[in-house]
Amino acid sequence: MNSEPGWGAISALLIVIAVSVWLGTLAQRAIQRGKFLTGYFLGNRGLGAWALALTATVQSGGTFMGYPSLVYTHGWIVALWIGSYMVVPITGFGALGKRFAQLSRRTGAITVPDLLRIRFGSPAVGLISSLFIIAFMSSMMVAQFKAGAIVMKLSLPGNAALALSEEGGVDPAYYIGLAVFTLTVVGYTLIGGFLASVWTDLFQSVLMLIGVMILFFLVVPLVPGEPMQRATLEAVGNTGPNYAFGPGFSADGRQFLPVGLAFSFFVVWIFGGAGSPAGQVRLMASHDTPTIRRSMVLLAFYNTLIYLPLLIICVASRSILPNLASSDELIPRLSMWATRDIPGGSFVSGLILAAPFGAVMATVSTYLVVIASGVVRDVYLRFIRPHAGQTEVRRVSQGVMIFFGLFSVALNINPVAYLQAIVIFSTSSVAATLLVPTLMAAYWRRATVPGAICAMIVGSATTMALFGAGWWMAWQGYDQEYGLKTAFRPYFLAGLEPIVWGLAASFVSGVVVSLLTRPPDAKLVSWLFDRQPEQSDDSGGRSSR
Amino acid sequence: MPPEDPVLTSSRREALVVLVVWVVATAWSVGYCALAGYGRDPASLTFVLWFPDWVFWGIVAPWFVCIAISLWFALVFMRDEDLGSSADADADGDGLDRPEAEPGHE
Repeated sequence: MNSEPGWGAISALLIVIAVSVWLGTLAQRAIQRGKFLTGYFLGNRGLGAWALALTATVQSGGTFMGYPSLVYTHGWIVALWIGSYMVVPITGFGALGKRFAQLSRRTGAITVPDLLRIRFGSPAVGLISSLFIIAFMSSMMVAQFKAGAIVMKLSLPGNAALALSEEGGVDPAYYIGLAVFTLTVVGYTLIGGFLASVWTDLFQSVLMLIGVMILFFLVVPLVPGEPMQRATLEAVGNTGPNYAFGPGFSADGRQFLPVGLAFSFFVVWIFGGAGSPAGQVRLMASHDTPTIRRSMVLLAFYNTLIYLPLLIICVASRSILPNLASSDELIPRLSMWATRDIPGGSFVSGLILAAPFGAVMATVSTYLVVIASGVVRDVYLRFIRPHAGQTEVRRVSQGVMIFFGLFSVALNINPVAYLQAIVIFSTSSVAATLLVPTLMAAYWRRATVPGAICAMIVGSATTMALFGAGWWMAWQGYDQEYGLKTAFRPYFLAGLEPIVWGLAASFVSGVVVSLLTRPPDAKLVSWLFDRQPEQSDDSGGRSSR
Repeated sequence: MPPEDPVLTSSRREALVVLVVWVVATAWSVGYCALAGYGRDPASLTFVLWFPDWVFWGIVAPWFVCIAISLWFALVFMRDEDLGSSADADADGDGLDRPEAEPGHE
């Protein structure tokens, strides 16, 4: 079997880069039609159903890299690990979507801290939330630069390795990858802002769906007989009975997914997604309520066509490629193997390989926009130059993006370690910080400024403390024998992920402190919670059923 | 006291339904898989439509039920509402904020 990606991969990658830059220029034209800040950071509140469905909740980078590797390694139990995606369409859009879109319009907010600041009538709430978001998302973004550089490096002809592995040395190809990745993603985000990020995200999501469908129809029929039964029994024979059951197979005897962690992942994926400012800002940008409803329908089918087929493909691959040394190589190797005999197979496999690259680009682009909007809107315009003109704001926005791009490159000259751990830590922390205050802001009149601040600080502190305790214990040689064995694993208090405790602590402290402090300004609350004079009874054509 | 904002009323009602769906889905999937999918004898394993029996009944079947619920929620239950006009301001005109719109700044 050919073990190198060859020219097909690099050709496909160049096409993805070209399309991304082209989308950036299209986005630039689109945002010129409105005011700069709303256009550049919120796409003039005009996101359609496809863009909203496939970019607000889909965690696409991990979908095409981490998830297949986990299925191949640990077996059918990963179905339970990812199972909560069955409710993501309605939790992602039904819980906060409509209210958030309304509040952001009524207040004119274009960032999440902006909305919190106005809702609570407190610059402190806005500043604290903004600083948390900038800190957590910056660390997440820095880690993604490494991933982008490695995918680019591995796609260069002559590289035998195919996996997004954190191991392996740094060589000139890595720096070429880092340079190309940075120039591309910072470049098109600079040009097109929020819309460029959304459209490239949408593009790679479609690319990923095509890749999964191609793999499904090429791989599964190649397993003779009853494919899944055969593949499962072969895997059980090669590994052990836990490949077919919980808590999943692990070569080192760890419990991959005990029941407590299984429950945790029904919290992680749902509340982690709902608490992400990158997703929340896209809800704020949705065009109208029919858009939100259509997004829900689209996402229900999209998730089904991605996650269930990938589960089948990856278990079936146990029969085709039973002894992969590195499970991270599964999708690249499978794509090359499956397309080896079809015309243009190299290019098709290249397209499949390009999906992770597009996914990482889209992720970085999203974070760049959120971070830049936080710095410009919530810090620069609020505390440094409140009356800055449009030209100045544009320059500062672009300067912030360039700064964070260069900052990320500088930190990756010696690549950051523990990429996956940083991503999980940042995702959990930002959700534990923001979700409860945003829910309080949207639905609870009695929520107060001290309550919101307390919810943020206690939620983040709880999560960080559990991660810190786990890291410290790992260095001391203590191992709970749960989950993945990484050096930066958290402490699973009562067998649960830190985000569960972070959210619980955030919720309790936010509610208790709000009830113990003076009620908020009645006029401000009435403005956001009561019917306003300009509102009519007409609900837009569709009434309650 | 003015009546509650209708968007808030319907959003809260919809959010409560979402919460119930999440609780039921989590309880069913985690509960069923914990009982039927952990620590079993491999000889007892059967397959339903390409999936091990416990994966099918614990994840795949509820997944399709959730698709149906999502369709019902989106196409029948969720209300369309007027989200209001945007109070967007920009840095080139009247400054950063919308002080004229915020009661606290009147």
